[in-house]
Formats: sequence, structure tokens, C-alpha cells
Amino acid sequence: MNTKLLSLNEATRTVNSGSNKVTLLDDINLQVNEGEFISLMGPSGSGKSTLLNCIGMLDSFTGGGYTFLGEPVHSMKEKNRSKLYKEYIGFVFQAYHLIDELTVWENIETPLLYKSIKSSERKALVADMLDRFNIVGKKDLFPQQLSGGQQQLVGIARALIGKPKLILADEPTGNLNSKQSTEIMELFSQLNKDGVTIIQATHSEQNAAYGSRIINLLDGKIVEE
Amino acid sequence: MIKNYFKIAWRNIMKHKVFSLINVIGLTIGLSASFVIGLMIYYDYTFDDFHKDGDRIYRVVSDFKSPQGTFHNSGVTLALKDAIADNSNFESITEFYINRPSKVENKANNTEFKWPNFVMYTDEAYFNIFDYKFIAGDKSTALDKPNNVILTETRAKEYFPNTAPADLIGKTLVYNDSINITVSGVVENFKKRTDFVFEEFISHQTLLQTDRREELLERQWGNTNSDSQLFVKLTESANVVSIQKRLDDLALEHTDEDDKKYEMSREFQLQPLSDIHFNEDYGIYDWSKGQASKSLLSNLALVAVFLLLLGCINFINLNTAQASQRAKEIGIRKTLGSSRKQLISQFMGETFLLVFFSALLSIVLSKWLINVFSDFVPEDLSFELFKAPLIVLSILLLLFVVTILSGFYPALVLSKFNTVSVLKNHMAAGEKKVRLRKFLTVFQFTIAQIFIIGTLLVGKQINYLLNKDMGFKTDAIVSVYSPRSERELSKKELYAEKLRSIPEIKSVSIGSHAPASYSTNTTNVTYTNEEEIIKSEMQYIFGDTNYANLFELDILAGRIHRNDTVRELVINETLLKKLGFNSPDDAIGKALTVNDEQTPIVGVMADFNQRSLKSEIKPMALRGDWYRSQFSQFQAIHVSFHNESSENLKSTLTKIEDAYKSVYTETEDYRLQFMDQTIETFYNREKKISKLLNWATGLSILISCLGLLGLVIYTTNRRVKEIGVRKVLGASLFQINTLLCKEFLLLVAIAFVIATPLAWYGIYSWLQDFTYKTSISFIAFIVGGAAMIFFALLVISFKTLSAANANPVNSLRSE
Ligand SMILES: Nc1ncnc2c1ncn2[C@@H]1O[C@H](COP(=O)(O)OP(=O)(O)OP(=O)(O)O)[C@@H](O)[C@H]1O
Ligand SMILES: [Mg+2]
Repeated sequence: MNTKLLSLNEATRTVNSGSNKVTLLDDINLQVNEGEFISLMGPSGSGKSTLLNCIGMLDSFTGGGYTFLGEPVHSMKEKNRSKLYKEYIGFVFQAYHLIDELTVWENIETPLLYKSIKSSERKALVADMLDRFNIVGKKDLFPQQLSGGQQQLVGIARALIGKPKLILADEPTGNLNSKQSTEIMELFSQLNKDGVTIIQATHSEQNAAYGSRIINLLDGKIVEE
Repeated sequence: MIKNYFKIAWRNIMKHKVFSLINVIGLTIGLSASFVIGLMIYYDYTFDDFHKDGDRIYRVVSDFKSPQGTFHNSGVTLALKDAIADNSNFESITEFYINRPSKVENKANNTEFKWPNFVMYTDEAYFNIFDYKFIAGDKSTALDKPNNVILTETRAKEYFPNTAPADLIGKTLVYNDSINITVSGVVENFKKRTDFVFEEFISHQTLLQTDRREELLERQWGNTNSDSQLFVKLTESANVVSIQKRLDDLALEHTDEDDKKYEMSREFQLQPLSDIHFNEDYGIYDWSKGQASKSLLSNLALVAVFLLLLGCINFINLNTAQASQRAKEIGIRKTLGSSRKQLISQFMGETFLLVFFSALLSIVLSKWLINVFSDFVPEDLSFELFKAPLIVLSILLLLFVVTILSGFYPALVLSKFNTVSVLKNHMAAGEKKVRLRKFLTVFQFTIAQIFIIGTLLVGKQINYLLNKDMGFKTDAIVSVYSPRSERELSKKELYAEKLRSIPEIKSVSIGSHAPASYSTNTTNVTYTNEEEIIKSEMQYIFGDTNYANLFELDILAGRIHRNDTVRELVINETLLKKLGFNSPDDAIGKALTVNDEQTPIVGVMADFNQRSLKSEIKPMALRGDWYRSQFSQFQAIHVSFHNESSENLKSTLTKIEDAYKSVYTETEDYRLQFMDQTIETFYNREKKISKLLNWATGLSILISCLGLLGLVIYTTNRRVKEIGVRKVLGASLFQINTLLCKEFLLLVAIAFVIATPLAWYGIYSWLQDFTYKTSISFIAFIVGGAAMIFFALLVISFKTLSAANANPVNSLRSE
């Protein structure tokens, strides 16, 4: 239960906007073990999404060290990274990021395609997901034809279908009503109990409470544990 | 996965209908051109490729070198065969003699056939070299004896309708009224494409019974007739160098003194079988078929490549421009575990789908194009060729190459996107490829521009050639040739007499060919003045005393020959200068040595062109028919009309033909040529080039403008908000349009600057073939540039005006 999954060592991220240097993340030290459920909290603009993106290797730290499963990330090849996305990590985005040209069904199915799962099995898995999130009726619609909340559900379904060992969720329930968000949180803690590591960014104290650990961010710095 | 890709591909194609259409049109044009041109190349390169050991079969031909240049003759002297027959490098050697009988009769059926063509006199060896399938008769004995003939199936059906081949053996045909010939074999016609179009093979000894008897008996080294053909098949281990050495030695050994005096020499060459279809120096057996030209084919291939390139460029430009819209999808797919390779193959799949669709369209279009390009496409080139395995394979390969060419770069660009920057803000790397797109657009317009300028200048040159004064009268003149078998002069005079009585006819003259023609009759002359002996070659035209008058030849000094048979010459200015006279008057009364006889110059005529304006004016003399008693040179009757209005013309022509039939009752060999049409045939090749250029120009403008349209649509769509804001701030329609046009017009202008020297150079080199050339006028360049800018403006304004016209509130609100 305490295998080290990832560790951040004085990690920073700065960007140049025009002539001035902006520090988005400053001196982040963080160890995450497999099986943890971490909630990132902080006011808007504090850097939650930025940190999640960097952890997810969508973006990179500009300073400090970052090792994932014992391997330094900065020397990781693009090939290994896409292998990690395929087999290990599931993303839930704040802005949903569904593929506009694909239907709900096809959006959820896509990760399975990259995992080369057989068609019959894919059908069963997708149907199961649609059922679990109560969106069977929407399966042939395109993202623009869905409400924000529905899109968010599809995004979560898509992240979970590949059975990832690490879920990175950015405001997974931002657009859902309280009943729905409770259900999602229950689902997350169930997955967590089954051994899935979860890191989520959230504004809601209630949701944060599902986590085993809360990290507060302010202006790109971790303030307390 | 594949299915998923195609689904997305299809949805993307449908979502961007205009762009997809532009891509498909461009690619379809490029592919159609490639298909048709590819078929033509395949067609011509598969002539006579089916003969067994074809790479070891050669034709022996003669080249004559003299200070005037090299003359080619596809035949060799009849003496050559015996001199090389025992050479161990040859597996087989055969001579054949092409001779067209004037008449063949099947007495049993009472039918007769006039001037059957493709008749040769040959021996068994011919059938050893060329593998015909015998349906009847025996190859080894069929041509053993004189007075035997092998017919092809086609010819046999003609001579003996409804008779089985086996029953034909032993049947008799009568050639030229007197020679009885027995059918001894029937062979299948070659089923594949071939230049060996012969239909009748008569045993070689039979030639002794024809008017070629002397020629065959004497077998003189000094006599070369293109009808006398020699083919050899080399052994597998043959030494080509030693064969050539032997041929060179023989040529040297048999050079006569006269040839040496005039620095003339002869060479025998081995012409490979595969060269026969292409080499215009020696020609093919069926003159009515245009000869394939490697340079024309390679020009065509170049056009196809350019059109295809233009189509691919549209693809690259539009797809990289569109990249930002695809960026989000790419980013998401990456987070879902797609590798870069998978993304690239996804985009390539999309490209292939479009390419494949275009290919299907192109195949349909090709059928139509084969008709449009009928000037270039051989008549029997059919759509069926598409089934040839090599063609199918090449098409697949071409599709693959086009897919790579147009799809790979955009795919590379797209798959490279950084995930987060793409997901965060949808602007993306596509913007950075602006420079590449500009470069490619300039490239497109440069090609289009070169084509435009080329078309204008080639057109100008052709017009110039057709309208330039040849130096004699060329309109309202026809020439009627006497029957080939008819040598008697009295009938010509009778015919001329009848023609003179037709009121529409202004003037009639009996003579050889018209002043300009494909035929030449050349001899050597010497002139001895006080200081030196001057030698020159000299072409003859033969005519009666009215010839110069009818063709309105300009007599500068002296007079024309006094009558048809007096030994007098009227020389042209070129010969005058060559012989060193200062003025026309100086030459009058001087004598030239022609064939060892002194011949006086009685007149000097102004120069005129004897051929197309590509060639220089040659030294020439007009003379009468002074060897008439042995061999009359008069073979045509030239007729000029009072006026050449079309309604009159038709009835006049009928009268001319009726008169002909009343004189020559026995023959149907009526041949009439319009002078102006003959001159036009000098420029057939140039006209083909011009037509080709017209098409290439039109299509390249179309493709480039479509590409431009795509880019304009893309940019204006992106700038809709800016346009809205500017309008709200009070900019006029014109100002906005200028703003949008400026950027694109600059590209067109750059293309113009690049295209101008290239086009100039291309045209300059092309014009070097012509003795008479138009100036390369700068107007053509200006017109070319203006046309391009006009088209570009049209395309740009079409889109920008509608964008500028749109209600600004709509565009602002939607953002
Ligand atoms: N590429 C960038 N260049 C400059 N500033 C950036 C860039 N990316 C993010 N930022 C800034 O970094 C800060 C943190 O952004 P981030 O999206 O991580 O906030 P967040 O904590 O997720 O906020 P929210 O709760 O609203 O989602 C913001 O102030 C943002 O403007
Ligand atoms: Mg955020």
C-alpha cells in the first residue's frame, strides 16, 4: 500500500509572458503513494489545474525534480508517455474536452481502441458505462448536443473505462447537481478502495473530504498539509 | 480502429465541404491527367514488346553524312545482305522489299483490289525472326519457290471471303495483271500492338518479275532504297562492337570516288527493335499513323507531374491551415493514449480517403479526356488498357505516392502539437506554418504564370508562322496529283486542257510538287568563274512555263525557261549568293555544271520558303522537264482560282474531280491538296504543343485559384471579427477589401517575378528551333501577369466582399 507512485522535489513552473517572468508553481514538494486519494484545494487561479497538468505530464515543470514510478519524467520518451496514458492514467478535464466529431458512444469507446480491445468486449464495456452514468439515451448524440453536466459525465465515463490506476480529475463535479456529485464521489472512493490512486482538484469542502489527504494551494505554493 | 478513423475522416470531410471539394477537384485533375498520360506512355512503350528475343532483333539502317548534314534512310543497299550473311554473330538475317502492287485480282471470284498496302517480298528467315502463327501452310516451305504468297488472316478474308484458311492453299491471285501467285500459307495477324503491319508476304525471288528486276539483279552498293529493309537477329553471345566494325569497314570499302569528292560518307547502323516505334529519323511502316515521340511523351509527363503537384500543394496548404481546428481532437487523443504514429496514420488515412475518391472520379473522367486529347492519343488506345496489370499496379503506386506527398507533412505538423497548449487555447501550431503556405502558393502561381506566358508566346509564334509570307502565293491554290501508275504526259495535258475550260479557274500549270512541300529533289552543281570553282547543292522544282506565274514567283532578273524541255535554269537568290554573284543581272547567261553538262542560267527568282519556316531557305532552281523522254518529273497539276469563296469552291472542286474522272477512267487514285493546308501540316507538331499548353494553362490556373480560394476563405473566416470591428469603426468596403487582398496579391506578384525569367528562358530555347521567330514581346509577360492578378483578385474578392458585406453585429455577437 505504500509503494511510491510519484514524487515532486522543489518543482517549479515559470512562464514568460511578454518581458516578465510569471511563476505559476513555486517550490512544490509532494510524495504520492499508490492507493492515496488526494484533494487539491485553493482559490481560483491558485494553480490547481496547472499542477494537475504537470503531474499528468501534459505540461512540464520548468525546475526541480519529478519522478514517476521511479523514472525521471524529463527524460521520458513520448512513446512511454503515450503508453502511460494508454495503460495507467485517466484524465477528467475541467473543460470536458470531448472529441466534437464523435458521438457519446464513440467518445467513451476511444481509449479502448488505443488499448486494442476486441469489438465485442468494447461494446459490453461501453454499454456498462453508459448504464452506470445513466446516459444510455444519449449515446448517439454529439457533444454539442449535450448539457454541460452531461458532457462532464461522459468525460468521467471515458476516463474510467480504461480501468486506469491513477485518475487525475480537474473539478470532476463542477457542473453537476449535488446528488450527482455525491454519486461520483462515492464511485471515486469505491475505486480508491479497490486500489486506484486519485488526485482531484476541487472547490468543494464536501468533495475534498472524500480524500485521504488535502493539499491547499495559494498562488502556486503549498500552504499547509 | 481503422473503422473509427474512417468515420472521423468522413465526418471531417463533410464538415469542411468547400475545402474537401477544392482538394478533390485539384487531385482529380492531377490524377486524371496522370492516368491518361500514363496510359499513353504505356501504350507507346508496349509496341512490339511481345516478340520472342526482341532485344536481339535489329534493323540495319543507313545514315548519309555530307557537309549539308546527315540524312537517314531506313533501308540499306541490296548488296549488304550477302556481305554480312556469313557473320557468326547473327542467328538469322532477312531482307524484305516493300512494294505495293497496283492491282491484285482474284480471277475465280472475279474481284480486284487496287493498291493493296503492306505487301512485302521476303523469305523464310523473316518468319524465323518474327514469330507468326501459321493457320495454314508450312513455315519452312511456304516461301521456298517464286510466285508464292503468305496472307494474313485479315487480308485472306478480303481476297477470299467466306473461305476457310486451310482451303486457301493453292488458290491463285494475279498481281499487276501479269504475275500469277499461289497462296502457300495463312498466318494470324499479330494480336498485340505492333508496327509490323504487313499483310502479304510474297516469296523474295518473285521480285524479279516486277519492275524492280534490274535493281535486284545488280544489287549495287551505290543504290539505297528505303523499301529495301534488312533485319538481323543476333546470337546470344553476339559482339555488337565487332558487328558495327564490320559494317563500318564495308561502308568505307564501298565509298565511290564521287562521294569522296563531295565529302559524303555512309554509315550502317543497328537500330534496336524497340527504337523503331519512336525514331522519326527512320520512320515506321504505316505512315498514316503518327509516330510516337519520346520528347512529346516526356513533355506530357511533365505536365502531368506539375498538375499533380499543384493538387498536392492545395492539400498541404488547406490541411495545415485547418490544423488549429483539428488541434483539440489531437490533444485529447494524446491524453487517451494515442501514440504519434497512430495519429499520423489516422491523418494519412483521411488523406487516402480523399485521394482514393479522386482516383475513382479520375478514372471516369479519363474516358472523356481520351476524347478531348484525341490529337495526342492514338486512335486505338482504349479504356480497356486500365485493366493491364502494370497499369493497375502503377495506379496504386501513384495513389500511395500522392497520399504520402500531400498527407505526410500535414500529418507530421498536426501530430506534433503540444497537448496542453492545444487544450488550453485552441490556437495552435497551424499558425506557424504560414510561411510554408506562402511559399507553396507562390510556387503554384509561378507554374501557372509560366504556363500562361508560354501559351501566349507559343500561340504568337504559330500565328506568325502560318501568316508569314512564304514568298509565293499560297491561298486559292490546289494541286491534283496524277495517278501513281500513270506516267504518260499526254493525259496530263489533256486534263490541263479540260481544267482551263472551267470558268472559275484562273490559271493551270503542270509541274512537280508545289514550291513548298515535303518532297525534295537535290543535285550538286559547280560553277567555275575566273578565280575559283564553287560547289553547291541545289534543289529542283519542275514546272511548265506557267508555273512561276501561277505561284506568283518573283522574277528578279532575266526570264523563265522558254519551253518545257529546254535545258535552262532559273535560280533563287540563295543559290545566287552562294555562287558568288553580286547582283541578279550578273548571273544571267552564265553556265553551271550539272551532271557534267553545262546548263545556262536564264533567270533569277526571289527566295521563298520551301518547307516550314523552321528550316532555312535552300539553294534552288526552277527548270523544265528536260529528261521527259526517259522519266517525266511532271506529276501534278496546279490550279489557282479566281476567288476562294466557299460556296463556289465546292462546285469548282466537283468540276475538277469530274474532269479528272473523264481523263483517268481506269483509276480511283484521286489526290488533291490545298496549298494552305499543306503548309498547315508543316506545323502539326507546334499546334499540338499549343493545344497541350492551353489545357495545361487552364487547369493550372483552375487548381491554383481554387487553392487560393481555400486560403482566402480560411483567412477571412479567421478575421471575421476584425472585419466586424473595423466596420463598426467606419472602414469602407473598399478599404476592408484592400486590406484583405493585399497579402495575397503580394504572393501573386512574387510569383510573377520568379516566373518571368523562367518563362523567358523556356520560350527562348524553344524558339531556337525556328529560323524565323517572333520577338519575345514583353506584352505577353504583362498580359500574363495581368491575367493572373485578375484571376486572383476575382477569387479573393469573391470571398472577402461577402465577408466585408456581412452585418458586423452578427460576427461580433457570436464571439
Ligand atoms: N501559459 C500561461 N501563461 C501565463 N499564465 C498562465 C498560463 N497558464 C496558467 N496561467 C496562470 O496561472 C494561474 C493558475 O491557473 P490555473 O488554471 O492552474 O488555476 P486554477 O487553480 O485551476 O483555477 P480554477 O479554480 O479557476 O480552475 C492563473 O492565474 C493563470 O492565469
Ligand atoms: Mg482549474
